[in-house]
Amino acid sequence: MSALSLHKRIEENTGLLIFGILLVSAIGGLVQILPVLNQKSLQAPSTNTQPYTAVELTGRDIYIREGCSVCHSQQVRPLIAEVERYGPYSRAGEFVYDRPFLWGSKRTGPDLHRVGGKFSDDWHRIHLIDPRAVIPESIMPGYPWLAKREAHRAGDIVAKMTALRTLGTPYTDEQIAQAEADLEGLLEIDTLIAYLQMLGTGLDEEIAR
Amino acid sequence: MATTHSSQDSADIYEDTVVIRLIQFSVLWAVIAMTAGVYISAELLWPTMDFGQFWLSFGRLRPLHTNGIIFGFGVSALMATAFYSVQRTSHVRLFAPKLAWFCAYAWQLIILLGGLSLLAGWTSTKEYAELEWPFDIAIAVVWVLFGVVFFGTIARRKIRPIYISNWFYGALIIVIAMLHIVNNLAIPVTFGKSYSLYAGAQDAVVQWWYGHNAVGFLLTGGFLGMMYYFLPKHSGRPIWSYRLSVVAFWAFTYSYIWAGPHHLHYSAIPEWVQSLAVVMSVILLAPSWATMINGIMTVSTAWEKLRTDPALKFIVLSLAFYGLATFEGPMMSFPSVNVVSHFTDWTIGHVHSGALGWNAMITYGTFYFMAPRLVGVPLYSVRLANIHFWLALAGTMLYIVAMWGAGVSQGLLWLSVDEIGELSFSFKDIMASMQPFYALRLIAGLIFLAGTCLMAYNLSKTLVGRKAVVVKPPPVDPAYAIGKEAAV
Amino acid sequence: MRDSIYSFLLFKALYEPKIAFAKLAEVDPAPLRILFRYSLWLLLLPPLFSFIGASQFGWRLGAGTPLYMGTGTLLLISLGYLFILFFGLVTTALISRWMADTYGANASFGRHVALITIVGEPLAVASVAHLSPDVFFNALVLIPTTIWAMYLLYKGIPIALGIPPERGMLMASSLVGWLLVAAVSLLGISMSLWTLGIGPLLGV
Repeated sequence: MSALSLHKRIEENTGLLIFGILLVSAIGGLVQILPVLNQKSLQAPSTNTQPYTAVELTGRDIYIREGCSVCHSQQVRPLIAEVERYGPYSRAGEFVYDRPFLWGSKRTGPDLHRVGGKFSDDWHRIHLIDPRAVIPESIMPGYPWLAKREAHRAGDIVAKMTALRTLGTPYTDEQIAQAEADLEGLLEIDTLIAYLQMLGTGLDEEIAR
Repeated sequence: MATTHSSQDSADIYEDTVVIRLIQFSVLWAVIAMTAGVYISAELLWPTMDFGQFWLSFGRLRPLHTNGIIFGFGVSALMATAFYSVQRTSHVRLFAPKLAWFCAYAWQLIILLGGLSLLAGWTSTKEYAELEWPFDIAIAVVWVLFGVVFFGTIARRKIRPIYISNWFYGALIIVIAMLHIVNNLAIPVTFGKSYSLYAGAQDAVVQWWYGHNAVGFLLTGGFLGMMYYFLPKHSGRPIWSYRLSVVAFWAFTYSYIWAGPHHLHYSAIPEWVQSLAVVMSVILLAPSWATMINGIMTVSTAWEKLRTDPALKFIVLSLAFYGLATFEGPMMSFPSVNVVSHFTDWTIGHVHSGALGWNAMITYGTFYFMAPRLVGVPLYSVRLANIHFWLALAGTMLYIVAMWGAGVSQGLLWLSVDEIGELSFSFKDIMASMQPFYALRLIAGLIFLAGTCLMAYNLSKTLVGRKAVVVKPPPVDPAYAIGKEAAV
Repeated sequence: MRDSIYSFLLFKALYEPKIAFAKLAEVDPAPLRILFRYSLWLLLLPPLFSFIGASQFGWRLGAGTPLYMGTGTLLLISLGYLFILFFGLVTTALISRWMADTYGANASFGRHVALITIVGEPLAVASVAHLSPDVFFNALVLIPTTIWAMYLLYKGIPIALGIPPERGMLMASSLVGWLLVAAVSLLGISMSLWTLGIGPLLGV
């Protein structure tokens, strides 16, 4: 059967057309995505990379909720200028506990993957509530409500950690049992700062140096 | 002739009222989502414009803007045009019209509640898939039902060949279903929170396989379906080369899928995935431009139609911007260009050359074409439509050029170092220097939005208070007829 | 010759473009004559202005101190600029000539060169903004001028090539498509050259 008459059949048969589209469009995904999903090295944590603590996880989910990743990337590229500006470039092993990944696609503000430890907690607190109090040129929105809400109300931390454990994050029973107590007395802004301060600190020590 | 039909005795007339309703929803979302876009572009100039309200914060309004445009404006327009054209290319009334009505309204409800949920901070952060799992499930269900109506109509068609526009709409439905389901697999925690099944670098690869192809099969493929039906219809000419459209369709469907990882250059994903994406991105230019040439050549001899019909202008111009966007994309996937353009406003400009120049323009042209025909009266004002054309063109041009300026400046200044290898500029100085470009972009957005509002007024004056014209399928040429009719 | 197209080409076309297009419709000038006696003067303006501006004041890319370059580098950049403009004019005229058959216009190549020259003339003159080498100021002057030039393209093609306005609209849109692609290619090529080490230092 020639290619043209084969195509005539597809052109006149709904089922064949659906099947053809599905087949042709799936090939790329199968050849490209499946090997990546099976690549074990992309799932192995760097030696210093630990699962997020209850406080950090809460902070991370606030980072997600407020859409920080819309303007801030978390992916330092292996370029001289970027390594100099931000720090060591990002490795796959640092992201293995990130669900979802937060690499971002736009830097309206600077990259944050190596922001941990660069500023004091107090600086972050002022900056998050009113960015222009510390950086006059800043165009970042302020987040005053973070300093008013209690952290333990930002989501069911036990359910979150249990769900993540189901997905493979190695949380111990004690960590989960302790989670609510960890959040006791903290405001949302405290957990977000805790998250920001640990960002990028999961790198192997030799590389970090 | 403008009598209405009741649903009992309407078995052999086209179901067009649902099309009218979808057009109105689409225009409504265009106005809302573009207003949100203009608002957030103003927030980049005056960051206190959120007035301390969490729901006006940039990070929450931006996904509302993108989702409102893609899924509110875009998908409603695609549903409207798919329902309109699949009946006319199949010579049969919509399969299960009640289901079509359900899809239309359920979709609007998803966009409305989904939009509110984004403002409430329910988000997965995966670009163009931000809606959380309850909406993901609802979208999947409605999408499958959309497919049932669409393919059901095709299955009952009276004419043997399935027309090319239906392949593109078909690919839209099938591939988006596949991408949506795979990318959104997650474990729910609470109603507004879930954790992705994939983590880190793997999640990134899956997300951009989705993100890139949502653009590919929705904003490119779906709207090509629109072009393949409405351009020939509009210009009264057959497709310039049907064979070219066949080849381009399969090449497009095959090669688009591979290009996603070019959004992740210089990242921690495997090297070969990035390289493969570059190669496939370049290959992708061929089917993209083949389709553009097919469109341009189809319309090139139908110029006398432009005299009476402002709508065709939009479609003609949309092809020029389609050509730009499909060229710019592969170019930006080259590592040596991407290293400058990635993370900058150039990307935003690129998206808008597609979204404003191609998607919005071709949709506007199609709406101006359909609306008068659906209700059997002339367009309320051809003059307003002509003004809209120039506003849309000026707005798009200004937007693209402003973002080219901003993006190239950002990219180069971020990377520039002095003789001893030290950074030449601080981040905040570069950021502060973007203000003029952001101001130009705000003006561009306002101009484009003004045009859209003119259209909303024009179309509502044309449509509101009028019933759909009763249209019956014309007799089928026996040479192409299916089944019994072929024997007649 | 007094009121022929030639007397219009330089500068009169700026404020009476429609008359210029109408006059162009009557003749088929020799392409080289147009190119070297008229267009070239316009093409020289932007590189000249940018050379003077950059050497006197230095380019301000927005942030920080102005960027000064040596005279040699500046000359090289200006020559490159001139070459790109010249190349752009000739290829656009060629493509316009090539497209013309599809849209029922069969004017000589010379007329296409003159047409593109008139369309680009406001941009060449507005490049006087290069004297103050500030990116934003230049954008502010040149973007509206670009939109004006596009308007001239849509108006000029039907008049100068003697085709109905509707066909002219189609042809102008195709040319706009080409110009957009050309512009973005230029952007892409210069970025690639820059990252490969030609141009100011980048930490790539």
